[in-house]
Amino acid sequence: MSKDQSSGLNSFSKMFKVNRSSVIVVSALILILFVAFTVRMLPMRWEIGSGQVHLNEYDPYYQYSITSYMVENGLFSPYTDNWINNQQWYPNGLHMATSLPALPMTAAASYQIYSFFGGTIDLMEFCALLTVALGTLSCLIVYFIGKDFGGRAVGLFAALALALAPSFLQRSSLGFFDTEIPGMIGLLFFVLFFLRSLDPKRSLRTSLIYSIGAALALAYFICGWGAAYYVLGLTSLFVFAVVLLKRYDRRLLISYSATMGIGLLIAIQFPIIGLSYLTSAPVLLVAGVFIVLLLAEFMQHDVLAKNKITIVLAVLIATVSSFATLSYFGYIGNIAGKFIATISPVARASSPLIASVAEHRVTAWANLYTELGICALFFILGIYFILNKPTNRNIFLLIFGATGLYFGASMVRLLVIFAPAFALLMGLGLIGVLKPFMLLLKGTPDTFTKAKRKMSLVNKKYSILGVVLIFVILLTQFAFTPQTGGVPRAYSNAYMPTTVSAAGLPVVPNEQMTQWLDMLTYTSNNLHSTDVVVAWWDYGYWLSVMGDVTTLADNATIDEGQIENLAYIYMSSEDEALRMITEKYGQKNVQYILVYISLYLFEYEDSPTGFYSYPYGLADEGKWAQMARISGGARDRLISEGYMTVDNAWSNESGFGSSDEDSGQWMWNQDGMDSVIYKLMSSTEFAFAENSNGVISATSNEVTLKYLKIEYISGLNASYNPYNDLVPVVGLFKIDWAAYNAAHPTH
Amino acid sequence: MFPKVPDQHKNGKPLIPNGLGVLYVLFVTVYLFFLYFLGIGSISIGVSAPLTLAVCVLFGGFMGLLDDWLDLKWRYKAFMPLIAALPLIYFAIDMNARTSITLPFIGFVNFGVWYFYLIIPLIVMIVTNTVNMLGGFNGLESVCPAIVLLGLMSISALTSPIYLLMVGPIIFWLILSVLNFKGKIFVGNSGSFAIGMTIAAFAIIADVKLSLLISIIPYIFNSSLILLTVFFTRKKALITFKDNKLVSHHKRSLVTILTFNRPLSERKIVTIISIIVAVFTLLAVIYSFFSIPI
Repeated sequence: MSKDQSSGLNSFSKMFKVNRSSVIVVSALILILFVAFTVRMLPMRWEIGSGQVHLNEYDPYYQYSITSYMVENGLFSPYTDNWINNQQWYPNGLHMATSLPALPMTAAASYQIYSFFGGTIDLMEFCALLTVALGTLSCLIVYFIGKDFGGRAVGLFAALALALAPSFLQRSSLGFFDTEIPGMIGLLFFVLFFLRSLDPKRSLRTSLIYSIGAALALAYFICGWGAAYYVLGLTSLFVFAVVLLKRYDRRLLISYSATMGIGLLIAIQFPIIGLSYLTSAPVLLVAGVFIVLLLAEFMQHDVLAKNKITIVLAVLIATVSSFATLSYFGYIGNIAGKFIATISPVARASSPLIASVAEHRVTAWANLYTELGICALFFILGIYFILNKPTNRNIFLLIFGATGLYFGASMVRLLVIFAPAFALLMGLGLIGVLKPFMLLLKGTPDTFTKAKRKMSLVNKKYSILGVVLIFVILLTQFAFTPQTGGVPRAYSNAYMPTTVSAAGLPVVPNEQMTQWLDMLTYTSNNLHSTDVVVAWWDYGYWLSVMGDVTTLADNATIDEGQIENLAYIYMSSEDEALRMITEKYGQKNVQYILVYISLYLFEYEDSPTGFYSYPYGLADEGKWAQMARISGGARDRLISEGYMTVDNAWSNESGFGSSDEDSGQWMWNQDGMDSVIYKLMSSTEFAFAENSNGVISATSNEVTLKYLKIEYISGLNASYNPYNDLVPVVGLFKIDWAAYNAAHPTH
Repeated sequence: MFPKVPDQHKNGKPLIPNGLGVLYVLFVTVYLFFLYFLGIGSISIGVSAPLTLAVCVLFGGFMGLLDDWLDLKWRYKAFMPLIAALPLIYFAIDMNARTSITLPFIGFVNFGVWYFYLIIPLIVMIVTNTVNMLGGFNGLESVCPAIVLLGLMSISALTSPIYLLMVGPIIFWLILSVLNFKGKIFVGNSGSFAIGMTIAAFAIIADVKLSLLISIIPYIFNSSLILLTVFFTRKKALITFKDNKLVSHHKRSLVTILTFNRPLSERKIVTIISIIVAVFTLLAVIYSFFSIPI
């Protein structure tokens, strides 16, 4: 072997020279990522049999429709075409150019690359799997952030904690193709790069490169999730705190300006973000902090005290007068109102439509405990350790943890933002506590003397017990979780089917429940895409995207008035409902109306072979009260438009019956039994019972439909007693306009 | 294996192994996990009673270890048990626990939701800290809690099989108590906090609040005296050791009241206080026996 060859081999082996600890760390990291990936794939169990992977919940179908459009027409097409999706929010359609681009663009671009290399799975499956991949990637990023904070061990524990954090796990499991995913990726990359850019040990050039990385991540976050205001506020607060603590250095000014400037510049190029973003309160805060930084920089120079005072005063006057001008023209008031609504749960609760969405609700403390578990202890210790060592990096984490906890506690959905902060602080706390034990185990002095008491309390062997104790605590956090009855909490959060594969019910069946999928296949195969199906807004995305029909409303909830009308259609009588449809939407396209019920089956007392069916409350038979309240909330408008009269107007569900004092069972009155929703639910239940050859008896009152005819009922063939006694049934009814028009010749 | 510390109240200050409470914590955890796997004591599907108790005891033990390591300040020690209240609140809500208490002479008091968010954290905080404060003598920090736990277990046995959660822990703790009383071992902070947490958590899980309140009256008296003295006079309770006897010249704690100008041996002090605790625990048992309809 020649000398050249030998030196080449040496350098090659040096390049890959790894020590034992590196092997362990890399193995552990791979294992954690494997766990993160596998746990997120658990819903696949229900999808695999059908040969089609579906998206979870409802909003992901909206994201999917944009992705699909981008794949077909180009990445920027929804914006350049000013695409209006006419299958949603009939008759006006939904302006898709107002959607955030990061997630669909990421998915569409990745899918095109994937297809270029010969990939064959369809786009929906790809989107469902991409969620899992990006969720796993988040765990890898948090490892690097943790590593920067306290070494590889902190990184590993932070990655593990994030991999199994219930809130993030739920929102990054198979099919949860929604805005949190780009939000989390953007947030984590931003934190990683921004903190690295502040590191004084790095060269200015490296620092600038990291600032640009942070700016790109920030732009991605802003274009990916509305919660990006949070990271702007967080960074401003952090920089302001650093200046107040007299820790300012020039690197802070450079990094902050470069990151915020470039990040915002890129983000506002997208029409949905636009220039107006720059006048929003959090961005004004960013500008305000920039002025503070400039002042701090100025103060560092050797300037006469008199001049310093003059300039500070001038800046203060200029800032105050700018705000006064903005306030005069009405900007500040609006901005402040919006900002307060975002950060204050009380202000948010006053909006019924927002409050009615589960993920916007104030976090019940139980959710918080499920999220943190007993490892809240290590989280607090993490805070304790970083308080003892207040570096710039640690101040950032402290503010991240505190604000994340506040937002997580104020809105269920924002627990996702808190998850990485919790993971990092937990990792720091855990390693901070374990470190002394590990030092002893590694063979440092046999006894450890406490500085204050001068008593030797812990020795090498005893420290093993300490490590074991901490291990067992982690065991109760991750493996045998008391609050989930001893089942690993990750399992209880991820081992459930996608919503559509559970037919919209919050159950964990043995097999995929196909009632909704069958209905969507039916509408897709038998109805025209221009046919309007009246359905409660929860199912709008499913019907328009998978069912390929047109709907009146969906989770976009862009038009409160239309949702009120929809609620009125369901709660009024057939005649009144069809009158509104005729007058507001026309008879031409609106051809169908849909209802979805969940029936609880229980055995006859005297005959175990027969069952009663009883509307259980998980579907429209539970949601109708919301319909009554929403339409009742528009009572004045509906009266003025002639759809309600003062005599027959309702405000809430009490207009349709009352709860039985003894049994708590809802007793419908005549208006209730005349309502469209009751008739649809009852007819669907009777159709289900009739199909059972006498095995099942319906418990609702039988009704006569005047102008509605059963088109298709999905779920009639369900075997009895299949899913913990619950049977979902979806009914599609065709509107008999001829009969209606015959009865109402004036229309 | 265990670090040795001098026994301050013995001639020659012999070195005694300290921190054996960790063994209690580990034993209890294994025992409760065992019950969980066997399905014993699982009185709810949604949340596990043995595991909830295990988490609380683990937390107590861990707090003790932290105290050993970081020399926690009192302000931290006082409030840290609040974290352990979380699993108990979760358990109580999930179990739809009784939120009321029937006090002698006062009658029925219903706390409503305040029971979950105020009373449970207070119980955990007060019990854990007061148990930790009554110690420092061989047997004192082990025998007295054992008496209280025995009482609570007996009372809970009257109504439900939940007492099974305590059988193993009490046996193990009694062994430690005997060794501690004889001056062979110390249970350490980990033991002291863990047993305090065991008492509080078990009382909440088994819903024997009133019995707990009566049983720990001596503890509350001791802690109140110490805290009030510190608060008003900024002076701590001091006790001097001379000729194998302990004596004090003020009344700033339960121990100093007993030894006020009256030299007593360590064993005598522990015996007297144990008898006081036993009397109150017995009162709790008798009261419960007659107030629970059988």
